[in-house]
Amino acid sequence: MKFSILREHLLPLLQMLNGVVERRQTLPILSNLLLVADKKNLIITATDMEVELVVTIENDVDITGELTLPARKFLDICRTLPENSRILIESKGDRVLVTSGKSRFILSTLPAKEFPLVEGMVKTAEIKIPCKVLKGLFDRTSFAMAQQDVRYYLNGLLLEIEQGILRAVATDGHRLALCQAENAHDVHGSKQIIIPRKAVTELMRILDDEQKEAKLEVSNNHIRIDLGDLKFTSKLIEGKFPDYKRVIPKQNETPITADKETLRQALTRASILSNEKYRGVRIILEHDKMKALAHNPEQEEAEEEIEVKYQGSEMEIGFNVSYLLDALNILKTEEVLLTISDPNSSCLILAQGESDCKLVVMPMRL
Amino acid sequence: MVDTTQTAFWPRAIALVDMNAFFASIEQHDDPALYGRPVAVTNGLTGTCIITCSYEARACGIHTGMRIREARQLCPELVQRPANPERYAQVSTNIMAALGEITPDLEVFSVDEAFLDVTRCQRLWGPPPQIARLIKQRVFRVSGVRCSVGMSGDKTTAKYAAKLQKPDGLTLIPPWQSRARLRDVPVTELCGINHGIGGFLAARGVFTCGDMARLPISVLARRFGNPGRRIWYMCRGEDPDQVSGQVKPPQTIGHGKVVPPDTRDRDLLLTYLLHMAEKVAARLRRHAMRAGLYFIGVRCRDGWVGDRFRTAIPVNDSRPLGGLCQTMLRRCWRGEGVFQVHVVALDPASVTGQIDLFAEEHAQARRRNQALDQINERFGEFTIAPAKLLRRSDMPNVIAPAWKPYGHRQTIPSTRPRRPPASGKLPELDW
Repeated sequence: MKFSILREHLLPLLQMLNGVVERRQTLPILSNLLLVADKKNLIITATDMEVELVVTIENDVDITGELTLPARKFLDICRTLPENSRILIESKGDRVLVTSGKSRFILSTLPAKEFPLVEGMVKTAEIKIPCKVLKGLFDRTSFAMAQQDVRYYLNGLLLEIEQGILRAVATDGHRLALCQAENAHDVHGSKQIIIPRKAVTELMRILDDEQKEAKLEVSNNHIRIDLGDLKFTSKLIEGKFPDYKRVIPKQNETPITADKETLRQALTRASILSNEKYRGVRIILEHDKMKALAHNPEQEEAEEEIEVKYQGSEMEIGFNVSYLLDALNILKTEEVLLTISDPNSSCLILAQGESDCKLVVMPMRL
Repeated sequence: MVDTTQTAFWPRAIALVDMNAFFASIEQHDDPALYGRPVAVTNGLTGTCIITCSYEARACGIHTGMRIREARQLCPELVQRPANPERYAQVSTNIMAALGEITPDLEVFSVDEAFLDVTRCQRLWGPPPQIARLIKQRVFRVSGVRCSVGMSGDKTTAKYAAKLQKPDGLTLIPPWQSRARLRDVPVTELCGINHGIGGFLAARGVFTCGDMARLPISVLARRFGNPGRRIWYMCRGEDPDQVSGQVKPPQTIGHGKVVPPDTRDRDLLLTYLLHMAEKVAARLRRHAMRAGLYFIGVRCRDGWVGDRFRTAIPVNDSRPLGGLCQTMLRRCWRGEGVFQVHVVALDPASVTGQIDLFAEEHAQARRRNQALDQINERFGEFTIAPAKLLRRSDMPNVIAPAWKPYGHRQTIPSTRPRRPPASGKLPELDW
């Protein structure tokens, strides 16, 4: 195999591919990239056996063939070469020769035949959706995914297709984020899948805000997102996602209407003096008034008072301030609505006038 | 020259009170026939390992940790007494209360040691030498036990001073003499400098506290962080650590027990493990805590066999722990002979805190545990317990050196103070 390529064409793709490659591997081949060169195309694959990314670059090839080479070292070499370098890659027996100008590198290789690929996906559903919409769903929900929870099905994101609606739900058991896109293109049938956490974070790096179309293919245990030159495949998390509908409270008669930015800034200031570990703040609701109180083990105290619209009963409730701030950060409107019914039940946070995004935060006992 | 140590106030005055051969002294006090005789305290009369021994026994070369049979060879007239943890806890509580009347700046360091910061009560009680004598009188008055007192300007030097004269000692090192007094003392003599740190220092040519002056503080800071900086100051007799009455929240809560040597009976092991699980759960509840990560293990000839296990959500109910004990025996234990069992909650956290969206409220379990705890609180530990525990060990509770009269280290149930002491606030029970 032999081909040359411009550094600028290769580098952004290598950076994406390296996101998939795990730093520590038990199988040596998983630290490598698979390069396949046919006449007009160069196809590069990275995998960790759960998540696979295949990129196709149009590029002239001198000698066709396939090989694998160490992903991280190859990226570091390309990254540190001068701009607009032309990189020549050539297989030399059981080695790979990488040259550019007066730089010359000999890298080890492992047999391309041994590189594990996702095979035999039997498609059971297909959706076409603009990249921008899909990214929007992930951007506004992924923060709530659990990390290494024993309830393994929470360490991912639920993607649900239901009556023409594509919905993303993530929760770590303390808070929940739901976001949905109505009238997404060509959504048929109904289906629930859980995409693992790593796949979601990698996808968010790959998807851009352009109005390109993404094709989602779902099989019994995989999802593939096809962007034409990029094909991203992930295993799904088996298991049943908890009944999220049960834990989303209904909006009540007396929600709190607050200016989002004022509330966000007040909570941010109060959080400075909250306990670093538990991050608790005490929220006190009175007629058209909300107070946020925080104190830390050093007995330092913060008190913030903001004007809100609130006609409900007086109440005192504790929250992890980070969860409230995370929720406020993803709402785009000027005003937000908070529904709190009692100090032991969840709080529903909505953007004023929008219903595609629902955020639920469980309180703390203070 | 005027002897400033006798009259003047010190800029900082910290005392360490160390009860001498505490458990053995109590035994001698309670039974005057034991006065002047070598006494060794063991866990029950069946216990073979010496928990502590009187100074008369120490004179024969007997020490803590020695087997009773070995000790008898050194000293045939040795008197063996079963430990009485409730009594020791009671005496310790009385002593700590008496010390608390001298100053509220009291840190109970262990069952038989306490730090007092008397800097701010020199006008009330007089200069440090006078306060040191007062401490000894008060301790003797409430307990009948002699103690050694070390008094200096910081905790480390005070602790070092207390060690210099035992039993019934009184050693004063005025803060302005601390650095000179510590100069030729090996660094590993100081409390908190173990062999690991000692080795690190020795490799850099620091053997005595005086050698430390040559080593830049940044070397210690880079390797050990703030504790490293503290060590550097400790060697100068300027330990910055404050005397703190607050009991730090526990890192772990665990219970262990020895089983009849070489036990291979799965059922018996399970009973022992459940016994420990029950104790851990009850202790978590008593301190309004719960945990979601546990170590469950048994010690065999070749070391510990066991693993860490997670419950679905943090709990303080023994039932899910029982399930984990069974899982552990099934997965980790291969039938080898067992000598000891252990159950530890690794991430205890306050029950006040984040509520889970999907946690089923186990109201029934909570009510059951509440009733259980109330009964056991009133009539004694394990008055009511799961039937499975009928075959549990009848070995008495052991008092740990880290025992404290309040907080999570109060592990001897029947001596719990009814009212919280002035300095410690008991958490509200709200689960």
